[in-house]
Amino acid sequence: MRVFNEIAVVTTICIKSIPQRFWASFSTVVAVGLVVTVLLAFLAMAAGFQQTLRGTGTKDMAILMRAGAQAELNSGVTRDQARLIEEAPGVMKDPDGKPLVSPELYVIVDGVKKTAVPADGNLKKAPRSNLTLRGLSQAGIAVRPGLKIVEGRPFKPGTNELLVGRALQKDFVGLNVGDTVKLGNSSWLVVGAFELGGSVFESELWADTPEVQDLFHRQNVFQSIRVRLTGPDALKALSDYATNDPQLKLDVTTEADYYAQQASRTSDLIQKLGWPLAIAMAFGALAGALNTMYSSVAARAQEIATLRCIGFSGTSSFIGTLLESLVLALVGGIVGTLVTWVLFDGLTGSTLSGASFSQIVFTFHLTPAVALQGLILALVVGLVGGVFPAWRAARIPIVEAYGTP
Amino acid sequence: MSDFYLLWRNLFRRKLRTFLMMLAIFVAFVIYGVLGSIHYAFEHGVDSSADNRLVVVNKITFIQPLPYAYVGKIAAIKGVKNITFANWFGGYYQDARNQIGTFAVDPESYLRIYRDDLRIDPAARDAFIHDRTSMVVGEAIATKYGWKVGDRIPINSNIFTNKADGSHTWELTVAGIAYAAKESFNTSFIIFQYENFNESKTFGKDTVGWITLETDSAAVNDQVAATIDEMFANSTSETDTQSEKAFGKAFLAQLGNIALIITLVVGAAFATILMIVGNTMVMAVRERTKEIAVLKTLGFPSWRIWRQVLGESVLLSLLGGVPGLAVAGLLVMVLSKAASGAIPGLALTLPVAGLGVAFMLLLGVVTGFLPAWNALRLNIVTALGRL
Repeated sequence: MRVFNEIAVVTTICIKSIPQRFWASFSTVVAVGLVVTVLLAFLAMAAGFQQTLRGTGTKDMAILMRAGAQAELNSGVTRDQARLIEEAPGVMKDPDGKPLVSPELYVIVDGVKKTAVPADGNLKKAPRSNLTLRGLSQAGIAVRPGLKIVEGRPFKPGTNELLVGRALQKDFVGLNVGDTVKLGNSSWLVVGAFELGGSVFESELWADTPEVQDLFHRQNVFQSIRVRLTGPDALKALSDYATNDPQLKLDVTTEADYYAQQASRTSDLIQKLGWPLAIAMAFGALAGALNTMYSSVAARAQEIATLRCIGFSGTSSFIGTLLESLVLALVGGIVGTLVTWVLFDGLTGSTLSGASFSQIVFTFHLTPAVALQGLILALVVGLVGGVFPAWRAARIPIVEAYGTP
Repeated sequence: MSDFYLLWRNLFRRKLRTFLMMLAIFVAFVIYGVLGSIHYAFEHGVDSSADNRLVVVNKITFIQPLPYAYVGKIAAIKGVKNITFANWFGGYYQDARNQIGTFAVDPESYLRIYRDDLRIDPAARDAFIHDRTSMVVGEAIATKYGWKVGDRIPINSNIFTNKADGSHTWELTVAGIAYAAKESFNTSFIIFQYENFNESKTFGKDTVGWITLETDSAAVNDQVAATIDEMFANSTSETDTQSEKAFGKAFLAQLGNIALIITLVVGAAFATILMIVGNTMVMAVRERTKEIAVLKTLGFPSWRIWRQVLGESVLLSLLGGVPGLAVAGLLVMVLSKAASGAIPGLALTLPVAGLGVAFMLLLGVVTGFLPAWNALRLNIVTALGRL
């Protein structure tokens, strides 16, 4: 019990004397805060990107592409193949008995990011970014039950009308309902905007299949087939069917797996950039923390010696000093987390996804798991930055301590 | 006893503290050196492409193909000196994750356009032109997979199907290896004969991905670009012609604002050391208040003391920063190898290093300014009275 009382006393002395070393302590807090901010900004970016892609896939939706294509962009599927899939096992049917199968076109067009508009507002000079244009029919909407039209209306079949993803609409120029978009040499009218659970689809433009086929001279060719599955066993049945039929030769995966795989590549890369940077910066902050704590111990040398004289143990000095360091680092960590939360959480970014070769709009997301990693990094800095000075505090020879003026 | 000796002894009077500050500065300059080099390589790699080179792509996006016939039509336009074209193949080796930038090209015209960027043995060039199933491999790829001239390599496509056997594989013979004639040229590529590609693929016959051309001089670029785009206006495949530089910049910009991210990270690293070092310098000079008062009493002029304190902080900054830049240089070399040419021209260049040294001097002056000012204003009587 005695030891605990001693620790409590020494810790109180340490913490209460922080204002005496205000600037030194402040610089430690800021240094740790900056390190945590950098780490969390990168991790929040990775988490946000991953969430967008992970949120896209559902397990009861299968995506069929040409064998070996790996991405919709590279794939090619014929109308005949799509017809064969309508008769495949494992395909869910709507109440009227129509199979829930959606052959879809996937082509790339381009647009201008709001942040890329030059100062003089001349859009002709603005750098353009790749966007996905998906050609689908009524079936495409039927296979996606979560779809919500949040503004305007869906496109009418047989017209050059566009339905725009909500995320894309916010991030790109000229995609408001009523705007005209020029693709190639034809004009398209934006008639509505949709939300679909914060998924990648919200970064896409949707239009009627035949119109997109016309624009891209791709009659009777699609890039993928979306299929609503009847249950957990349906994937296997469908996969066997699609692989064994020589006319098909299609790869079958669940949409969840397809997007999870795309997510891992980019978010891995972001994390691989963020961690080494944060660790390098943490060494800088560590140097600051050590400096501060050594000077703290030096400033309190006589007090510590006095306490030891009246019978306090070295352990209490050790733990008191260590706790001071941890408190400073923790404050830095919390400050860094708050700064990240205020500056970055909810920020939208967009990047070129390697697999789809078009822009994916995502939102930085400071998840609790991410914030925890930042706090742990801060505490590690505090622990290492405190343990050596604390060791010195516990072992200062009493005579020497009084010897220092 | 020279001023420098005094300065040196002052700097190292508390070795641990000085070492820790040097460590903090070291780390910041390692970060600066590595990120600065990456940024420079990105910017410079694009800038170094020839001024009179234009790229013609489909107006919808550059992924959409153009008719092969456009090549001949554009070649006839006044002001076009050389012309070539290429088609993206979606190539990979063995595993789909081993993607290689693979292009189907017309050997002769392609190598002519890139004559100043690529170095290739004349015999290898001839072999490439005459052997329909041959390919030329960039140095980075040849090193990565250990391919030698004469090797027969199966290259897969994740887009095209080979008519011969319905597979996605093309067997190609290495005719030669292409080396970068300019450091900033990316050699992680494979080029093979368009003729072979065009005749063996199952769809998209007689189309090309994009057309690259050289104008008589950069002065006629705009005029040539306008003529080309007008020529195909209102056709089924409208074109968009721009300089290769602008094209490269726009593509890089799609990845995100790399420059901004790098600036923010380096800014955060510098802010950290500014706090740590600035604060410690104030503390260190404060401890010496009495000594400075003694120096003043002895008749040292203020500017000499001012110079000493500033000199100390600048020296500290250099002692931490220069090794930091040196280590950054080594790291960049390792990175450049590991990325196997994906970021061409990645090296710690003179402009980046020079700016780094400027930052060190600036850091030294900024962190030393406040303590030096304090020392300058020091009142001898109060200072000696201070315990």
